[in-house]
Amino acid sequence: MLALRLARGAHPLVQLRRLLVAAASAGTGFLLLCALGYAMAHPDPSGGAALRLLWCLAPAAATVHFAVAVARTDPGTRPRPGLSAIGLGPGRLMAISAVTTALSTTLGSMLALLVFLHLRGDLPGVSFDGHATAFLASDHPLPLPAAVTLLLLVPLAASVASAVALRPRGAGPARPRRTGADGTSPRKPARTRAKAGPHADQPEHPLDPQQPAPPLPAPGGLPWGTAVLAAGLAVEAYASRSEAAPGLALPGRFAGGPAGVLGGWALTALGLILAAPAITHLCGQLLQAVRPGVVRLLAGRVLQGEARRIGRPLGVVCAVASGAYAMATVYSGARPSFGPLSTLGALLVAGCTLATLLTAAVEAKHARADTTAALLRLGAPTTVLRSAALLRTGALLAAFGPLTWAVAELAALPLAR
Amino acid sequence: MVAPPDNDVLWARALHVKHNGSPALCGVSLGIREGEILAVGGPRGSGKTTLLQCLSGQLLPQQGEVWFNSAPVHTMGPLTRERLRRDRFGWIDTAPVLVPELNAWENAALPLMLRGCGRRAAKTAALEWLERLDIGHCARKRPHALLQAERQRVAIARALVPAPKVLFADEPTAPLHRADRAHVLRTLTAAARSHGITVVLATHDADTAALADRTVSLLDGRRVNTVHLPPAAEAEGRAACSLSV
Repeated sequence: MLALRLARGAHPLVQLRRLLVAAASAGTGFLLLCALGYAMAHPDPSGGAALRLLWCLAPAAATVHFAVAVARTDPGTRPRPGLSAIGLGPGRLMAISAVTTALSTTLGSMLALLVFLHLRGDLPGVSFDGHATAFLASDHPLPLPAAVTLLLLVPLAASVASAVALRPRGAGPARPRRTGADGTSPRKPARTRAKAGPHADQPEHPLDPQQPAPPLPAPGGLPWGTAVLAAGLAVEAYASRSEAAPGLALPGRFAGGPAGVLGGWALTALGLILAAPAITHLCGQLLQAVRPGVVRLLAGRVLQGEARRIGRPLGVVCAVASGAYAMATVYSGARPSFGPLSTLGALLVAGCTLATLLTAAVEAKHARADTTAALLRLGAPTTVLRSAALLRTGALLAAFGPLTWAVAELAALPLAR
Repeated sequence: MVAPPDNDVLWARALHVKHNGSPALCGVSLGIREGEILAVGGPRGSGKTTLLQCLSGQLLPQQGEVWFNSAPVHTMGPLTRERLRRDRFGWIDTAPVLVPELNAWENAALPLMLRGCGRRAAKTAALEWLERLDIGHCARKRPHALLQAERQRVAIARALVPAPKVLFADEPTAPLHRADRAHVLRTLTAAARSHGITVVLATHDADTAALADRTVSLLDGRRVNTVHLPPAAEAEGRAACSLSV
């Protein structure tokens, strides 16, 4: 009930973010239901239906990613001194955020079910008798357990993921370590600190306002990211040479590449995601490099500090954008007729990743609110702060735009032949 | 509208401030002479911080006037007040809010750089002040690596570096231990006197106020001559509830 009340009393912008999560969940749920409908309409060849279900994984993953980002930004689940004093500490707040996430995603799933039933004509009212009945299977009764199972997938995954992302850590009493019997010190203290998760930007005692958090070490994913990226491109090129295996074709009359190409592309995306925080950090370092003035100094150092938070979603956006660019290049001549479901899925993935990036930016802004207030008290002109933010954005665009374009070109090269 | 006296650098008349309806200042007037160190005393919740915010142009009073060097602060727009804060005023918070991404000298040089001063000159001035406040050895450390007292000294250096006309210090020694407290205060007042900086110092303990030239006491948002609180006698109701229950 507390989660409900907290959810009800939130700021309109926070509600908007939750509504966006609900919408994403609704879209994913609808896609899953359509996969179910296709399976009901075509009971014999099960391969196609399984393939459709598999393709639903991408929007589902994007939705869960977005839901976790929103849960982390949620002001209702931030540690608050007053609430912690009455026993509503990080543990309970984790539960509350999981419930809030479950609430918004379940709302979306219900909406998806309603729309699906409405389109099938199960509900009283105008039914939709268009040409798209192939995936609605309106002449079959809907198996309710299957539908509910599919619809519960996203809420369950999202709430578990947000609970895991927000689990309290690091503040407990020092536990005896397994290897510590002989008094050896823990092996890599710096590394455990580096992995301290979403609230790692906050100090070990998040309620102590006096102690600023030590900065996280620079993200070091650049070598791994580059290696995986190169491997992905190589796999893609190799797989496209052997023109065989009509594998994971995207349904909805969208002729896709063979499984190897898709695997290679997935590796490429993984590499981009791994390398993005390090590249962001590098951007910050370059920005404040040689005799910086105040704008470059603020922009660069802040970018370095926020590299982990901003870099990961930025990498995802770049991966999605490069995928979209590659698809657009490959199919530009053929004028493919995207099915409505493929369009919905692509829109979901693109929208969720973009929204996740924006949410991460909002989170970074909130984390720096104290410092910004102190700067304003000093009389820092808002134009300085704004131009620092613009400079950061520009530097990121200048670094990641060409990178995305290059990766997309390279990825599209073997496909275009 | 009456022009303020000439020897007052900062002058406030009948300030009334309410925070969302709850009264914070009720008709406070005071004048601050050039080069003096003025302590604003009073217990917690008596409106010291609000008064300092009004005087430094961070907060507009709902009624009343604030004049700085014969310029009305209460009628200035936000941009003018921002420039006034940047060019004329210094501010020290209760807790040292430094920019965590910048190291100590960059933090101290920040106001000068915000004023458009060159990087080299700003660095020289910042290092000089850090040295004067006995923290020259940690000029290259980030705030997280500093002790609380060192951080507060960096904040003081940041306020002193641009040589402000008026320095506002809102309980600058509250989070420190007593030894650090005395040292920090002494360095602050010595620096202010040697450079002719006017200081408005909010404090709730009498020892700190003893370092000032003059003390203005506030109680419940009003200016009082002396703070007479009832003596903290025996705990109330203790005798009645002792053994007889």
